[in-house]
Amino acid sequence: MEPGGGRKEKPKPKEPVSRLEKAKQKSAQQELKQRQRAEIYALNRVMTELEQQQFDAFCKQMQASGE
Amino acid sequence: MPGGRTGGRGAAATKRFEASEEATQREEEQEDDGDEDLRDGGVPFFVNRGGLPIDEPTWERMWRHVAKIHPEGETVAQRIRGATDLPKIPIPSVPALQPSTPIPERLEAIQRYIKELQYNHTGTQFFEIKKSRPLTGLMDLAKEMTKEALPIKCLEAVILGIYLTNNMPTLERFPISFKTHFSGNYFRHIVLGVNFGGRYGALGISRREELMYKAPTFRTLSELIFNYEEAYHRCWHVLKKVKLGHCVSHDPHSVEQIEWKHSILDVEKLGREDFRKELERHARDMRLKIGKGTGPPSPTKDRKKDVSSPQRGQSSPHRHNSRGERRLSGEKKPAESKAMPDLNGYQIRV
Repeated sequence: MEPGGGRKEKPKPKEPVSRLEKAKQKSAQQELKQRQRAEIYALNRVMTELEQQQFDAFCKQMQASGE
Repeated sequence: MPGGRTGGRGAAATKRFEASEEATQREEEQEDDGDEDLRDGGVPFFVNRGGLPIDEPTWERMWRHVAKIHPEGETVAQRIRGATDLPKIPIPSVPALQPSTPIPERLEAIQRYIKELQYNHTGTQFFEIKKSRPLTGLMDLAKEMTKEALPIKCLEAVILGIYLTNNMPTLERFPISFKTHFSGNYFRHIVLGVNFGGRYGALGISRREELMYKAPTFRTLSELIFNYEEAYHRCWHVLKKVKLGHCVSHDPHSVEQIEWKHSILDVEKLGREDFRKELERHARDMRLKIGKGTGPPSPTKDRKKDVSSPQRGQSSPHRHNSRGERRLSGEKKPAESKAMPDLNGYQIRV
C-alpha cells in the first residue's frame, strides 16, 4: 500500500498465468504423446511384418534344406 | 558341492574355469542392471530412459535405427513421420475382473490385454526397467504402462503381469528367465511363472506364440519348463540356462526387490534328470516359503542363512552345482547347433 492512502491497483497475481502456462504445456505434451503413440504403432506394424516375413522365409529354407 | 571343481583338473583348466566363472559373474551382474537389454541376440536395441513423451534425441535415434535395420531404410520413416492418416489405436482397457471369475479365466483375460499392447518390434524399448528397483517402484511403472499403452517386450510384460495379478492372493507368481543359443548368439527371454492350485502356467509376451502364455495346467514346474524347452527347440534354439525367481509379494507397495534368480540352472551341465530335480527343488522351496507364510525371502545375505534351502546364495554351492560336472553317466552332450542357412544374418529372436 502506497504512502498517502491512495490505492494503486494491484498487479495481476502471477499464479494464474503460471497455471495457464502449465495447462498449455500439459496439453502440448499430451498431444505429442498421442502423436508419438500413433507413429509407434504404425512403425511397429511395419517391423512386425518384416519380422514375420523373415521368419517365414527362414523356416522355408530350413525345411528345404531338410534339417 | 562347494566349488564344484574336481581334483582331476589341471591348473590351466582350473584357471580357465575361474576366468569363465568371473566372466559369467560379470554377465550376471550386467543382467541385474538391465545392460543385457542392449543386445537382443546380437542385434542392438535401445532403451528410452527419458520417460514419455519420448525426447527428441531418443526419438531420432529410434528412427535412425529403423532405417539401418529395415530393407527399405529411410523410406519407412518418411511414410510414417508426419503422416496425417495414421490409424487411431485405441487404448486397451485393463481387464476389470470380478473376484468371482475363476483364476484361469482371469489369467486369460490378462494375457489378452498384454497381447493387445503388442510385442515391441521397433528396436527401442519404451519403458526403462531396473530390475533392482523396489516392487513399489516397478508397480508404479506398470501403472504407467497401462496408461500410456505402448508396445512392450518380455521384461515389461513380466512387470505388468505382476501388477495385474496382485489382487489374486491365491495365485503365486515368480519370474522364469531363459538363456538360449542360436546360430552363434545368445538370447535371453523372461516370462512370469504362475502357480494356482498346484498347477503351473505363465504370462508373458514374445515374438513367438509358444514362448509366452501357458495356461495353468502343468502339474509340475518341470513340465512347464520342458514345454518351453520344446518350444525353443521348434525354433532351433538350444536352451542353455534357466533362472527361476522366488514368489513375488502381492503387496504393490512393498519395498522388497524381486528375487530374479533364486535358482540358476545350467541345462547342459546338469543333465536331464538333475535338471528336473533342481526344478522340483525350486518348486518345493516356493511351496515351503508359501507354507511358512513368510512371503518372498529376504535379500541375499539373509538367504544364505536360510536352513531350508542352504544352497541358494548367489555364490552358493548350488550355483556351482549347476555348473559342475554333474552330468549323469550315459547322458549325451547335446549336439552342436548345425550351421543355419544364411538369410542375410537373420536371427530367430524370441
